Amino acid sequence: MTDTILPAAAAAPSPPRRDAGGSTRLGWILHHIVLIWLVALVIIFAMLNPFFMTIVNLQNIMVQATVLGMLGLAIALPLMVAEIDLSIPANAGFSAAIGVMAFSIGLPWFLAMTAGVAVATLIGFFNGVCITRLRMVSLIETLAMMIILEGALLATTQGKTLINLSDAYVWIGQATVAGWPVMPVVFVVALCAIGVVLTRTVLGRSIYAVGGNPLASAAAGIRVDRIKIAAYTISGFLAGVAGFLLASWQMAVTSNQGSSYLLYAIAAPIIGGVSVFGGRGTVAGVLGGVLLLTVIQVGLAIVSVPSFYVGMIGGVMIFIAVAIDAFRIRYLG
Amino acid sequence: MPTLEARNRQATMSGDIVLRVDHISKSYGPVRALENVCIAIRHGTIHGLLGENGAGKSTLVGIISGQRAPTSGHIVMDGRPLDHVDIKTMEKAGVFLVHQEPMIVDNMSVAENLMLGLWPKRGVFIDRTALARQAMEMLADTGIDPDAPAGHLDAVARRKLNILRAMFSGGKVIILDEPTASLTVEDRKALFAFMTRLRDGGATFIFISHYNDEILDICDAVSVLRDGRVAGGADTVEGMTSEQLTELVIGREVTLFARDRDAAAVRQNGPPALCLRNVSAAALQVAAFDLAAGEIVGFTGLPGAGAKELGRAIFGILPAAGTMTLAGGAPQGLPTSPRDALDQGVAFLSDDRRRDGAVGPLSIGDNIALSSLGARSRNGFVDQAAEHAVIDQYFRAMDIKSPGPMQAVDTLSGGNQQKVCLGRVLATKPRVLVVDEPTRGIDIAVKQDVLRILDALTRDGVAVILISSDTDELIRVADRVCVFQDGGIHETLHGADLTLARLRGSSQA
Repeated sequence: MTDTILPAAAAAPSPPRRDAGGSTRLGWILHHIVLIWLVALVIIFAMLNPFFMTIVNLQNIMVQATVLGMLGLAIALPLMVAEIDLSIPANAGFSAAIGVMAFSIGLPWFLAMTAGVAVATLIGFFNGVCITRLRMVSLIETLAMMIILEGALLATTQGKTLINLSDAYVWIGQATVAGWPVMPVVFVVALCAIGVVLTRTVLGRSIYAVGGNPLASAAAGIRVDRIKIAAYTISGFLAGVAGFLLASWQMAVTSNQGSSYLLYAIAAPIIGGVSVFGGRGTVAGVLGGVLLLTVIQVGLAIVSVPSFYVGMIGGVMIFIAVAIDAFRIRYLG
Repeated sequence: MPTLEARNRQATMSGDIVLRVDHISKSYGPVRALENVCIAIRHGTIHGLLGENGAGKSTLVGIISGQRAPTSGHIVMDGRPLDHVDIKTMEKAGVFLVHQEPMIVDNMSVAENLMLGLWPKRGVFIDRTALARQAMEMLADTGIDPDAPAGHLDAVARRKLNILRAMFSGGKVIILDEPTASLTVEDRKALFAFMTRLRDGGATFIFISHYNDEILDICDAVSVLRDGRVAGGADTVEGMTSEQLTELVIGREVTLFARDRDAAAVRQNGPPALCLRNVSAAALQVAAFDLAAGEIVGFTGLPGAGAKELGRAIFGILPAAGTMTLAGGAPQGLPTSPRDALDQGVAFLSDDRRRDGAVGPLSIGDNIALSSLGARSRNGFVDQAAEHAVIDQYFRAMDIKSPGPMQAVDTLSGGNQQKVCLGRVLATKPRVLVVDEPTRGIDIAVKQDVLRILDALTRDGVAVILISSDTDELIRVADRVCVFQDGGIHETLHGADLTLARLRGSSQA
């Protein structure tokens, strides 16, 4: 085909581009609500306890955000293809145990870590295959996988905490350069890499399309099953890295490692604007959601709220964030 | 034709106006969707609402049904202006919108659907006897069984059910948004007879349609929107012609596009672009079909007769056995997936944009680029510059009415969504293009654009299969038409045989 159909209309002036959504001030505020809410909380916590703004504490927030961030990023990918993966935190815990056990039977730390991450990646791939080729419902399939992996972790550790980790193995979680922790660098690299994949590659663009309308994507020539499997596989890989980082940071693998992260890891990307219906979301949004949750957790801990209330207040803050987000979608949607 | 204002004044005095749209304007930011719209709907009439895509019909309907608030002006119901308008107040006042896609709970019975949310109760329990009795009364002489699962109803029964439900809920003015989309000729007649009967019983309808003949057939009065204003209207459609309506709708005369068949025939002397032999699938059996480069072949037939099925088989959506030979290639099996088909230069445009045509949440640009991403990528990375060029090219070539390619496809009107889908398909540079009902649900001017584009493509040697139930359009653009029946090609009409009468007689057989 050449372009003979084009010249007639090509003479028309190119229409002006306009960003989607409101150009109004309210629109701007709602678009950046997570950021605004984040800044507001930082200011509030800083006023309640000046220690919040110290470098030590900010470093603490960065470190804490790293594991949650990796898990949130891992959960964001299945969400973007309009599926879900509940087994991510359990996968992180289990694969970390595999890594540590591989290390304890004499493998060098790097190979041991690779073994753990490989297992996690494989589990992600397996989830993807079950959901696409076998048409299993992702919510239930990954719920089952979560229970299996939590059980497998308990069985592997025999209920004990694995603590015989070498210095090399825990280096990434403990090391500092000029006083700054190294671990958050991994999260930043992962954010950038996933961001590039999503916006610049065929795979990433296909992920958004598949999440937005799987039938239309298939008719447009996208191999929907492969894209979903790829999303789950990358997600499993990220879970494996998260598991390694958590083990390295805590210098241990407990018999229920990771499972406490589940709800926060799901909440973070959703607060950050990743749609549970698929097709929408950015890595910047995930970062915003992760920082928001981490600031709430750390902030409540240091303004010495009695521990009985921490869970409740934290929940209310997340509730407010989600409520504002729902309002934003109503207003701009 | 009386002027609108004169009509309104006269109508108000006669005192039988049930709903009045009073100087309504609606802006979305800087965009004026409606400007000072006044329409009077009389009690016991079917009032047609016509307009191109983007003329403001959907916005107006949204305001009348309470889904959107007007920027200024108001709705007057039974002579009483309504201030705070939302869906609840409008439904209370008796205005109901029956959607294009009937909203029905498939796994409940017809009776339960009919009174969904308003089930008669005895204490906290549903009064099943009362439910059955009331349903029986309402469904009398509709031929619908109240106990049947609603999921088993056919398209026209589903629409009837929705209209009845609206009336049962206290509906006085019922808005029908393109109720005839995807109905057969017979179904349409049945639906119209049903509406006429209800109207004679005192119901009022606002009837939205793209089809002039439908409006002239069934409506008592008509209002035409153009660019957000009332372009005209009449208290009676008697004596109006289709041409007059079309002129009102688009504000100028439309020349219906017709392909120059003789000139096209001269170009079709190369080797065939596509040869099919012994294609068979579940409800499909085609011994031989050849398609010349530069040819437009129409496929038509009743639903299930095989026209759509063959189109889908060629694109690898419907698994089928048989051999396919493309120009310059060896005989091989039919494509096994859409990707496989696209890689061989076969492209397809679905008849259902919402289901498998466009990816709604994504932008126009992302949609246009979607099918040809691989062609512009290196090591999996998309070449941004090439991509922008392609998006820009097709955004303009398809003449998509939108502020820019960054807009989400969701926000576009049906006709523009169709152009986006067509742009996506053409960006793959196909050699064989299968289009399924490409002009359904889009207005007459855009329709001509789409047909013109198909014609232009054949000049570059693209072979087109046009699957359509619009006989008029087949006559004007197809070089020959294959009429399908019982899963096979029943007969092929061309030359002097390709007439409206032959086509209608053959395809309804």
